[in-house]
Amino acid sequence: MSAFDTLKKYKWMLPLLQKADRDIRSILMKNFRLKEKDFYPEGEYKADVKNLINCMLCPNMCRFDCGTLQASKTETMSPAYKAMIGYYLTMGKIDPMDQENKAFIDLMYKCTNEENCKIWCPFDFSVVSLLETVREDLNDKNLMPEYCKEQIEKLKNTNTIEDYNIFETYTKEGIENIETDGNDDVFYYIGCESMKFPELVKSNIELLKKAGIKFSTNLDNKVCCGGPAFNIRDLKTAKDFATKNKALIEKTGAKTIISDCPGCVLTLTNRYQEVGIEINTKIIHIIEYVKQLLDENKLKFEKNLPEEYNNITIHDPCLIVRNLNDTTSIRAILNKVPGLEISEPIFNKDSVHCCGWSGTAHWADRGLAIKEAKNRVNELKETGSNIFLSACPLCELGLAYGIGEKDKEKIKIIDISELLIKAL
Amino acid sequence: MILMDLKEFDLIYNKNRVEIKNKNEIKTKLIKLIGKSNISDEEVDLLAYTKDDTLISMNWTIQGKIAALPDFITWPENKEQISAILNLANIEKIPIIPFAEGSGVVGGAIPIYGGIILDMKKFNKIIELNNKNLTVTAQTGINGMNLERYLNAKGYTLGHIPQSLYTSSLGGWIAHRAAGQFSTKYGKIEDIVLGMEVVLPQGNVINFKTIARASTGPQIDKIFIGAEGTLGIVTEATLKIWPYPEKRALISYAFPTIEDSFEAVREILREHIFPAVIRIYDKSETDRHFEHIEKAKNKVMVVFVCEGNQNLVDLEESITRENCVKNSGVDCGEEPVKHWFETRFKVTETSSMPPYKIVFDTIEVASMWENTSKIYHEVIDSVSEIKGILLITAHISHFYPNGVGLYFSFGGVAPKEKTDFEFYQECWNATIKAVVKAGGSIAHHHGIGINRSHWMNDEWGEAYTLIKKVKEVLDPNNILNPGKLYVDTWKGGEN
Repeated sequence: MSAFDTLKKYKWMLPLLQKADRDIRSILMKNFRLKEKDFYPEGEYKADVKNLINCMLCPNMCRFDCGTLQASKTETMSPAYKAMIGYYLTMGKIDPMDQENKAFIDLMYKCTNEENCKIWCPFDFSVVSLLETVREDLNDKNLMPEYCKEQIEKLKNTNTIEDYNIFETYTKEGIENIETDGNDDVFYYIGCESMKFPELVKSNIELLKKAGIKFSTNLDNKVCCGGPAFNIRDLKTAKDFATKNKALIEKTGAKTIISDCPGCVLTLTNRYQEVGIEINTKIIHIIEYVKQLLDENKLKFEKNLPEEYNNITIHDPCLIVRNLNDTTSIRAILNKVPGLEISEPIFNKDSVHCCGWSGTAHWADRGLAIKEAKNRVNELKETGSNIFLSACPLCELGLAYGIGEKDKEKIKIIDISELLIKAL
Repeated sequence: MILMDLKEFDLIYNKNRVEIKNKNEIKTKLIKLIGKSNISDEEVDLLAYTKDDTLISMNWTIQGKIAALPDFITWPENKEQISAILNLANIEKIPIIPFAEGSGVVGGAIPIYGGIILDMKKFNKIIELNNKNLTVTAQTGINGMNLERYLNAKGYTLGHIPQSLYTSSLGGWIAHRAAGQFSTKYGKIEDIVLGMEVVLPQGNVINFKTIARASTGPQIDKIFIGAEGTLGIVTEATLKIWPYPEKRALISYAFPTIEDSFEAVREILREHIFPAVIRIYDKSETDRHFEHIEKAKNKVMVVFVCEGNQNLVDLEESITRENCVKNSGVDCGEEPVKHWFETRFKVTETSSMPPYKIVFDTIEVASMWENTSKIYHEVIDSVSEIKGILLITAHISHFYPNGVGLYFSFGGVAPKEKTDFEFYQECWNATIKAVVKAGGSIAHHHGIGINRSHWMNDEWGEAYTLIKKVKEVLDPNNILNPGKLYVDTWKGGEN
């Protein structure tokens, strides 16, 4: 930006400048001219320096809603401080190459991507969007932390985010696999993490069958969406997965892709565009699709819920409510279930607090992620209902880590599909 | 001698740093007292506690300078652990700096002598909500917005809504004798606190009973409100709460002069009418914030929010309007108030100024009505004289039947012969000097910290000796938050 453009942007300063002494005016003009030289790094970089500065100099207006700060209860985890460290690493003020500074690099990964910071941000960005740009520079310097390298290795070796190809477990888990004949209405896109919850997957398959949908699951050829690689900012690996998924999706001929994992939906849509891959098929979360099936009377509730499921607490997945901007589908569906009482925690809908298991934090600092999960479980417990219902396998995983030993017998975490199938 | 790691950072407050010779031994003792997970001397943690939200520290941050550097960070989980840390600090003569959200703007939480940061974030529990008594009891490390959100969800409000609501703690409010934007109706923090638990500097714990009012000798509890963590650490407080207001009236008027607006507000308050929010913006601030309001061009904007019981709000609105019209106010409708509600937490100035090396800050002071106009003009005139100053404006946002709290904002660049810090101090000193000369008080709700301590003698006179003696009795080793309130760290601001 030229000095003139900058001045135009800060036009309210112009009358003040006109009134100022000539030498003061000259100092100010010099400061405007030298801003980039003084405060931006030399050479090539990917870090969003402008907004790192905006964030680090902000009085932390989002701090009260930052999950990692509230979980760790340390200033170290505050959003503005993370931005400050990102800035200093970018500027070389803290030398990223120095082994002694590893803890500063780790801080760039201690975020759960929940993005409630964005709600309160005076500049309208999320802190993770800044940290990711710093991660790209770190990757370029071969400074990707070991725990991230491990995830990339898993992706490359197993095509999933596990040590083994989790999609291959379907037979053992009793999950029906339906391979495409190239002419599907729907491709039920099962997430890696969903495979850890076989009942979730089986319920969704049963539900789709009850609605008479022609669909495939393609578990013999299924791979991860590549979301973890996007989070780590290994964009080459991310693009490889985007390419594989695009090919598989096109092979199904499906008109609609529905996923049980909001992380997959976000990756297949918004994030693929970051690596230049666009999938021209409707991609939605399964709850949006189920709502549609209920509205069209393709699904009907015919059974009474078992009594123990009559009162549930909703845990909104942050990826659904804040990234996919859908706070209504889950409630619209549940409101139709006969006899179901819904309890809402204080922090719900787009004010929800994270389960702790999104983003890179659970790799960088598992203890921190578990603390965040515990915080959320405590909020959910306040409703008095012992059934926590969500619509994201990551949430169901994270919340499980947050339940203390004494509550394990009492509290159940279920996916919405598992509840619905009991009443359909 | 400066003992610190992070050598690549220039240290601003470097003269009084206390040397801790046996750091390893202290660390071992701290671990034994409060557990390994509650203490750190890692650089990644130390650097996070080097400043508060004092605006000059934003300039230092982008320039790669740090205000001060602590030696240890501790996160006590209970009052017993606080007592244990204080006992150790007394034996070893190590400074203790209470810290919660670090949102103070006068340096109160900056560890200028080094030492042990006592971070209160683990004291974040809400202990009891009492509907009958209309009180909430909470630990003081709780973030303000998290407390208010909890109360709102239960149908209440604390009514204490400072602009720092998102970034400050209950403990910080008590320490700095804070005031919120709705304080004209709900009162300041000292009006809101009904009971407290305090850990004294030598580790003993005292409790001030929660009571609506009592005649049980002098109000010694009040010395801990505004003591800025120098006389004790408040760990728990019981506060007044209110049912969430059922109605809000949004009112705004533009006045020809600031004096007209003062008269209108003064007359409203004389009638025992207390709008929750009253904000007078001088002509410069009106131009800056309400450029889109045609009727406010070259005028003084005043926004009011009346809230509470519907009948009461209707009455307050009517009397407010009568007095505005009587004093030449022009009705500007609800839009300016809505604009204020939408933008009041959109703090972007702190980020946009430092990259241009613009020094920016706000200074709030207090006045009786008879001096208000004089103070306003004297400060504007004297700060305008400073070489390098680009902007000096004011709004007035806290009101009493007897006086007001004025809030000045200044911005400028240091001339060649001065550093940013010297220019900053010059602006502060000119403001406070003008206030004292015109009969005002040096602080309204941000507290003293480092920035104002050299004015305490002018403010308190002989009583300053008394509070210093109280400090000596309670904290004979001067371990609690040294370098603030009782010490002229700025050396009169001449640096």
